[in-house]
Amino acid sequence: MPNPGTIHIEETATDAALDQPWNVIVHNDPINLMSYVTLVFMRVFGYPRERAERHMLEVHQKGRSLVWSGGREQAEHYVHQLHSYQLLAQMEQAS
Amino acid sequence: MIHLRVQPDGPKNLRITGIDPVVLDSLFALPEILELRDKPAARDRLLPVPTADNEALNADWQQNVTPDLRHLFVTASETVLRDLTGVEPDPRAKQLQQLTFPAEHLNAWLSAVNQARLILGELHHVTEADMANADFNLAEPRDLALLRIHVLGYLLEYLVKISGSDETSL
Repeated sequence: MPNPGTIHIEETATDAALDQPWNVIVHNDPINLMSYVTLVFMRVFGYPRERAERHMLEVHQKGRSLVWSGGREQAEHYVHQLHSYQLLAQMEQAS
Repeated sequence: MIHLRVQPDGPKNLRITGIDPVVLDSLFALPEILELRDKPAARDRLLPVPTADNEALNADWQQNVTPDLRHLFVTASETVLRDLTGVEPDPRAKQLQQLTFPAEHLNAWLSAVNQARLILGELHHVTEADMANADFNLAEPRDLALLRIHVLGYLLEYLVKISGSDETSL
């Protein structure tokens, strides 16, 4: 039978996993216009144009950009928003 | 020579002017293109899952979110297709057409035009290299699709520009 200390460690590990932030990633595609992607980042996240363009260029040049990190519910909201604008967005839990 | 422009027409309307036969072809092709949204490849592109490997979350998303997004896309498309019935001769130039639509439909136009481009791109397996090619054989369906992606992209640039003029206050 495990002692209380072991149980405590397991619970801590579980809590830590639940607390890991979720990353919202936008992937490149050959069709979406750079200006359109910039506009979407400004609208969805409220980013100023310079920051929106920086993420857009990262998507274009590196194939993906981490555009936001935080709680799961908010990440789902942002992915929903990005999908509504037809961007290729996914969420993944930070490792 | 491209004459296309999108400009405000008073406080409540936008007007697309300089619609030449090539642009008109792409606009009038929108209904048939958008009808293809449920082809598997187009559907996967327009309605992707939210994670790469979380099957439970993906399944929940497809059950609860995907139908709403599809409805959003269909509604935007229907708005634009209704607006398209207003195409009329451009009084300033022979062989050109114009179209006036409510400014409040701008987001529907952004959505529908982008949907059409993505559907064409997905169904014709368009790559970055294809997008750099400007030599079209219009007897080839794939080249016609590429031309329409470019023409609709040109229109979309104007729609983004007009829309973006409101974003600087964010």
